[in-house]
Amino acid sequence: MKILIIEDETELAQDMVKYLTNEQFRCEWVSDHKSAMEKIYAYSYDCILLDLMLPGGDGLSILKELKDHNKLDGVIIISAKNSTEDKIRGLKLGADDYLAKPFHLAELAARIESVIRRKQFDNNNIITQNELSIDIYAKTLAVHGLPTSLTKKEFDLLLFFIGNKNRVLSKGALAEHLSGDFADMFDNHDFVYAHVKNLKKKLRESDYGGYIKTMYGTGYKWEI
Amino acid sequence: MTKLLDRPLKAFTIYSLVILLISIPVYVFVVDQIWVSELDENNWLTLEHTKKRLTSRAFTADDLEKINQIWGELQPGVSITKMDEPKLLQDSVYEVVRPNEYDSDDGEDRFRGLKSHLLINGESYQITIETNVEEADETLLAVAVVTFFFFVILIIGFILLNRRIAADSWRPFYQILSSLQSFDLTKDSVLHLPKTDIQEFQQLTQSLEQLVNKNISTYQQQKSFIENASHELQTPIALLKSKLDLLIQKKGLTPEIAQILSSIEAPLSRLTRINKNLLLLAKVENHQYTDQASLSVNQLIGSSLVLFEDYIYDKNLSVEHASEATLSVISNSFLLETLIHNLLSNAIRHTAVKGKVIIRLEGKTLIIANSGTHPLDEKQLFERFSALSNEKVSSGLGLAIIKEISKKYNWQVGYRFENGYHTLSVIF
Repeated sequence: MKILIIEDETELAQDMVKYLTNEQFRCEWVSDHKSAMEKIYAYSYDCILLDLMLPGGDGLSILKELKDHNKLDGVIIISAKNSTEDKIRGLKLGADDYLAKPFHLAELAARIESVIRRKQFDNNNIITQNELSIDIYAKTLAVHGLPTSLTKKEFDLLLFFIGNKNRVLSKGALAEHLSGDFADMFDNHDFVYAHVKNLKKKLRESDYGGYIKTMYGTGYKWEI
Repeated sequence: MTKLLDRPLKAFTIYSLVILLISIPVYVFVVDQIWVSELDENNWLTLEHTKKRLTSRAFTADDLEKINQIWGELQPGVSITKMDEPKLLQDSVYEVVRPNEYDSDDGEDRFRGLKSHLLINGESYQITIETNVEEADETLLAVAVVTFFFFVILIIGFILLNRRIAADSWRPFYQILSSLQSFDLTKDSVLHLPKTDIQEFQQLTQSLEQLVNKNISTYQQQKSFIENASHELQTPIALLKSKLDLLIQKKGLTPEIAQILSSIEAPLSRLTRINKNLLLLAKVENHQYTDQASLSVNQLIGSSLVLFEDYIYDKNLSVEHASEATLSVISNSFLLETLIHNLLSNAIRHTAVKGKVIIRLEGKTLIIANSGTHPLDEKQLFERFSALSNEKVSSGLGLAIIKEISKKYNWQVGYRFENGYHTLSVIF
């Protein structure tokens, strides 16, 4: 799958490319308005990461161009502005999601997964991974075909892990994903342990492949 | 405190009172002098007339006796008395006070008299002419009454004139005063001062405008500085965060390095928070949240509690949430959400493990209380970076943001410490 990163901050763009690129994703990166326009006319992408403040023009005009030409690329706005007006305008213009800088790369990856899933499986909302079968809309999980009940947060965690396969997820990233923007109001994220522990326990009881690994000192990893 | 215009009024009043008081004896003296000199002249005329008539006709001593008797009965002001020694004395003027024979209530009357001598038929006669003169104390009373009457008129005039002057020429001054009183550096970008054609006021207006404009521009610069600074900080913070995310992906991290990496997260997240809050403060000050909607406070509290449930559970806090009232307020959704999030997270953070948080909505007042040990300084509490606590996670801006948002919508924020609870209240 192809991702286009439109971001003028070179270092940040390179980090995103590094993090996101794997056997599943291929990333392309442009840093200004003009080359972004050229790219979107020439190719189509599964997901476009769009910075709103670009040299040579407003990022929102790129979004408008995409929608005017009925391009189906998923768009996630990544902005340093973090203003509600921008967010609302972007979503009204047809962006699929909005992520304010600074963000965890894991959060970005999970959002991309979610956007692509929504775009591609309009009718099929089941993610399957070996013995796991996840219904995104019904928010249910079946392991080996047998339903396993999860709390809302455990389900969110599971999706977050699946969206970040084989990557180490820090406690902070997990807390931020679960509590949203306000996680950094607190210094103690011990509840993350509890949720992960419960999720692990439930999955283990259903005899899953033991994908969740604890990485000493840094966090967790969904290893497959 | 006296009003500016009352001060000269007082001085004028005292001055005119003194002058009028001095004028009373002066008037009395002058009037008395005029009276006396006029009566003396009148007496003299009567005397001359009487003398002439008496000498031109040859009256006998008996005639004179008779005339005097008739005069004495009809016109007691003039009398002729025969002198024993036949010599001519100088004319003399005298004053005499006698009781009033017709009106005993009137007390005494003052008379001005003229005494002269005359030779008729070789006999010496004395003629006295007396005229009733106004008594000095009666003059004094009359003058005093009239003076007092004019004094009252004068004071009424002063007050009315003072008002006219105040309304007229001092109007710009009071307009300037009210403009200054209603001016708020954090809200207004221009100071509107009235135009005036009075030189002093124009100078005052100009100086004030210069002073205020300088302040406004300094304030604007400071505000945009904070906004720009935190904007500029966003990118490096974002980079730090993404670098850290990449770094923990590396294989073969030693436990020691892993520990260091994970301990970077907390300060980084605090940095993010401070920066976000500074930006938020600057934006609230710059009136960048203009969208408004009617929002349910109850609903927001409910969703915030869900958001924070993990933290509440972690600290084993008991939350008492009793909302008797339902309350909707019209405000920006992000700001109201931020206010409630900050109030709640503040209460949760500052409560000791197993403590208690009370959330109550009474009428238009939202009360959030949490158990604590000693009262905090209310003055400093809402200041930026006031550092009342030394905990590492606080941005030091949470309550400042609450204050700023409340200020924007004129909500009242208060802090009390009672019965072992820190109690923050917002009256919407």
